[in-house]
Amino acid sequence: MAEKYEAKSVQQGFRRGPGNFGAPVEKPQNAKKTIRRLLGYFRAEMPVVAVMSVTVLISVLASVFAPSFQSQAIDKIVSAEYGLLPRLLGIMLVLYIIHGVATLIQGYISASLSQRIVSRLRKELFDRIVHLPISYIDSHSHGDLISRMTNDADNISNIVSSSLSSLFSGVLMLIGTLAMMLHYSIPLGLLSCSTVILTVLFTSFISKHMRRFFVKRQALLGKLNGNVEEMVTNYKTITAYNRQEQVIDDFTETADQLTRTGIIAEIISNCMGPVMNMLSNVSFVIVSVFGAYFALKGYITVGVISAFIIYSKQFSRPINELAQLYGQIQTAIAGAERVFSILDTETEHFEGDALTDVKGVIEFRHINFSYVPEKRIITDFSLKIESGKRIALVGSTGSGKTTIINLLMRFYDPDSGEILLDGKNIRDIALGDLRDSVGIVLQDTKLFSDTIRANLTYAMSDYTEDELAAAAKSSHCDKIAAKLPDGFDTMLSQTSVSLSQGEQQLIAIGRAFLSYPRILILDEATSSVDTRTELSIQNAMNELMKDRTSLIIAHRLSTIQDADQIIVMDQGRIAEIGTHTELLKQGGKYYDLYMTQFAGQAI
Amino acid sequence: MILKHLKKYWHFALLASVFMILEVYVDLRQPRLMAEIVDQGILGLGNGGVSDIGIVTNTGIRMILIVIFGGICGILSNVCTNLCSQNFGNDIRKSAFRRIMHFSFSQTDDFSVGSLITRTTSDVTQVQNMVAQLIRGCVRCAMFFVAGSIALVSLAADFGTVILIAMPILLLEVGFVLWKTNPLFRLLQNRLDRMNTVIQENVAGARVVKAFVQEQRESERFAKSNDDLVSTQFRVLILMSYMRPVMNIILNIATIAIIRIGGLRVEDGSIAPGTVMAAITYLSQILNGMMMLAMIFQTVTRGITSSRRLREILDAEPPVQDGAREDIPAKFGSICFKNVSFSYPDNDAAVLRNISLDIRGGETLAIIGETGCGKSSLVNLIPRFYDATSGTVEVDGVDVREFKLHDLRDRIAVVLQKSELFTSTIRENIRIGNPEATDAEIEAAAAAAQADEFIRQQPDGYDTPVAESGMSLSGGQRQRIAITRALIRKAEILILDDSTSALDFRTEAALQSALREQYRDVTKIIIAQRISSVQNADRIAVLENGSIAACDTHENLLKSCKIYQDIYASQMRKEA
Repeated sequence: MAEKYEAKSVQQGFRRGPGNFGAPVEKPQNAKKTIRRLLGYFRAEMPVVAVMSVTVLISVLASVFAPSFQSQAIDKIVSAEYGLLPRLLGIMLVLYIIHGVATLIQGYISASLSQRIVSRLRKELFDRIVHLPISYIDSHSHGDLISRMTNDADNISNIVSSSLSSLFSGVLMLIGTLAMMLHYSIPLGLLSCSTVILTVLFTSFISKHMRRFFVKRQALLGKLNGNVEEMVTNYKTITAYNRQEQVIDDFTETADQLTRTGIIAEIISNCMGPVMNMLSNVSFVIVSVFGAYFALKGYITVGVISAFIIYSKQFSRPINELAQLYGQIQTAIAGAERVFSILDTETEHFEGDALTDVKGVIEFRHINFSYVPEKRIITDFSLKIESGKRIALVGSTGSGKTTIINLLMRFYDPDSGEILLDGKNIRDIALGDLRDSVGIVLQDTKLFSDTIRANLTYAMSDYTEDELAAAAKSSHCDKIAAKLPDGFDTMLSQTSVSLSQGEQQLIAIGRAFLSYPRILILDEATSSVDTRTELSIQNAMNELMKDRTSLIIAHRLSTIQDADQIIVMDQGRIAEIGTHTELLKQGGKYYDLYMTQFAGQAI
Repeated sequence: MILKHLKKYWHFALLASVFMILEVYVDLRQPRLMAEIVDQGILGLGNGGVSDIGIVTNTGIRMILIVIFGGICGILSNVCTNLCSQNFGNDIRKSAFRRIMHFSFSQTDDFSVGSLITRTTSDVTQVQNMVAQLIRGCVRCAMFFVAGSIALVSLAADFGTVILIAMPILLLEVGFVLWKTNPLFRLLQNRLDRMNTVIQENVAGARVVKAFVQEQRESERFAKSNDDLVSTQFRVLILMSYMRPVMNIILNIATIAIIRIGGLRVEDGSIAPGTVMAAITYLSQILNGMMMLAMIFQTVTRGITSSRRLREILDAEPPVQDGAREDIPAKFGSICFKNVSFSYPDNDAAVLRNISLDIRGGETLAIIGETGCGKSSLVNLIPRFYDATSGTVEVDGVDVREFKLHDLRDRIAVVLQKSELFTSTIRENIRIGNPEATDAEIEAAAAAAQADEFIRQQPDGYDTPVAESGMSLSGGQRQRIAITRALIRKAEILILDDSTSALDFRTEAALQSALREQYRDVTKIIIAQRISSVQNADRIAVLENGSIAACDTHENLLKSCKIYQDIYASQMRKEA
């Protein structure tokens, strides 16, 4: 089940974004189980569902009986009993008003029901996603995860709001109409049924052929959207290299293909209307011819024929609707399956011993780790970091520096070995407490589309203006704010406010400073910041982190040479350990790195 | 107006309308035939009150034939409509995309990437739907309405009264719902965007959320955006759910009125009972036409909003326009800034002030300076990503604004600060720099960019696919691919915009010496943070707050420039 699912999620990588133009029908894998679970969401809404069922029942009954009075009225006109007409029409009026009011209530209930359910579902889903382990998020397409929150949840909501009541009323309508027809005339009723069967056969035939084109169109649309997204995102490169024409040609090819497929798909699906119309007219003629024959024989009255004309229409409408619904329901159930599969994913466990008064002694003991089984990233890594020390990790790309951070934060857990914080295995510490004690600035700066202030105070809801000002000053964010129209309250989503890479890094540093952590981790946090600014940040940090532990990863040796201990990593192992001067004396890897940087390029 | 793109397909639109008229005509003929079947055939009014199966059968067959004709017309009308609307949509989509690809940077900044994407995709679809609806729906509605009314009134003038009363009520209702829902749709779109942003940020920024243990806060943030969305959606649904039942009530009451009036007319002998049935059918056709009108209105209002958004793109003139001069001879890649000042649109703060700088062909100029001091802005003026606010920038002795953009950018290879990779193979990513480059050239350039070795170690070497925005590669690897891409361009000017920051020193040193030896004649502008990256340049420009504080060799700057000394000290402090 799990593996099957993986393959599927890859195919759907592009289902994100707005516009599900005529979504293709997907086959759910275990419909029964999913439906049962989906129904579970209605259990809490039982009273509302009951009220809705009653209104549906009333409206169906009204629309089943009203035509019979209409036919009686026509009969009265034919038989010239005009005096009875007002009473019949009065009954019709009452029935139609009951019908109208019932459908109104039904619409209201189904709208509120669907919104409540989808809102609950989305919240549950989001709470899940926010607690998913990093390993899950790293290994799944982001577009796919987002699409489950939006497209799939919407499909379910649509089914609940529009389809549920039409499903219910459709079935009731079918039964009611059939009963009435058979009540009036069994042979004529059966005849009407036969034309309906013809319609059903035709619908299923067409939709089977249509599906192929819609699936193809959906795939092309995904390709086109992906293409636009990529090209617009990378437009700077395209412009810089004069590649516009080639990119436009590629786009045109996909767009033309999409249009061709779209035209075919639409034409086929639009044929349904006229053909249905033809079929319903054929059914009318059949009813008329046989109706007249039966009337001639005296089996039925003329009014019955008029009722039948209405009934046969009433009969084929729900069938068409149900046929359409079938596809929608299948898509929704397939979506529900994807949603539930996230709800079933194991989330991070937050339980554990509370941490109080963290000293910041970190110890790695014989850690082995690999992201994929065959490829060992960390091999027998052991290291003890004393409280209040400043540790630097250096080494070439891929030597496993960032992985060590991932393990310390428990974004991933090691394959073997253990990590201790203040002598306690971090697996036994409450996850929230562990991460709360660490402030981290990541390699890939992620800011939120909010004000600079909100980004700086992200981890601190109760801050004073003084604290904010101090953190902003020591991270040089005050300079950034000073240049912007609204200072700290400038929204970062505003596109005219485009911060450079370095400026974004400064805000991320300010964010970590303000959280005032016991342990501070900087993972290539100043790679785009100039060295003078960096130096002054480091001085501020020295003050801030006086008896706190900090862990710094950097390529720039100037960033790290003041560290109490420098760990040189090579292919997941520790190659050298020592202070700057010790390592220089050793004349090993660190010495080589140092010489290339500081002795100039005179090699 | 955006509809001018329809011109090319007017014949399809015309044909679609003609077929539509025929289809509707048949639809309108039907009730009459039905009435004939009932009156003449079943009731046998012309036959002394005895049913006449012959008439029923004959008229029935005639009716089926006509209906088949109508059906075929309907299908053909569909075909033409689709040919028209979809080709029209495709044209718009292509011209919008073309426009965007030729945007100046300031325009893309203004629109934001996200909105450009929705505009080329979902907005185009909305406009396309609008056109289809207009062609088919309007003709159909008008036909049903006009012809249906005429047919109905011709049956009996009294029936017209029913229409006259029912119609304004229906129109009022449709108008009310549209008036109420329209602003809600825009609100709905905004709230949907907001919720999507929260989701997107939480998925992409999961590490930050977790590291700061803000799951609770994010859940609350999401709950708020979700509640906002749901409450708006609920209001729309409620308004929409009124429409149908109220229409049904009006329609049904009108039917009752028709039967009542019909009864009176049959009583005084002016019409036959079958006519009453025909009248009921006409009435429902007319009123159904009205309902369709309501749907069309909705599509059209959405379509108009979308077409406005598209027009903003299609009508947007790039501020950076092609120059007039052609055949400017390639020289040695000399660049000259003359009194250049620059500020971004919408923000008065000057980013560059009075920059004057001469760069010789083949020179290596390094630029160093504080974060946010305008280094990138300065080099962005050379390929005219932006235009200077005042002063001139010259390449090969000619003002950059006189160049054809294509020609100008062909002389320049820029490696951007953020390495942008495309989802294709590494080789294809490199070839973006120069589609004509041979494999040997690519490999040679990769070797110079210190990329050859790691590329060969990839599972499929140069043909290894680059996964979603290059996440499978490390920052340093992405930078080296981007540098390779620039090197195969064989441009006379090479600009590296802080694009070696993720390289370790050894790699960067090797890259620099390769650049020095193999690309001797190329003018190189290198923005960097480390002294080691710049110290071998012919000259180093020290930028401070948008002005050039000094521009000289490493040795001279060390002697004379305080800022440079500070920078040097910040990196060499153990020795300083």
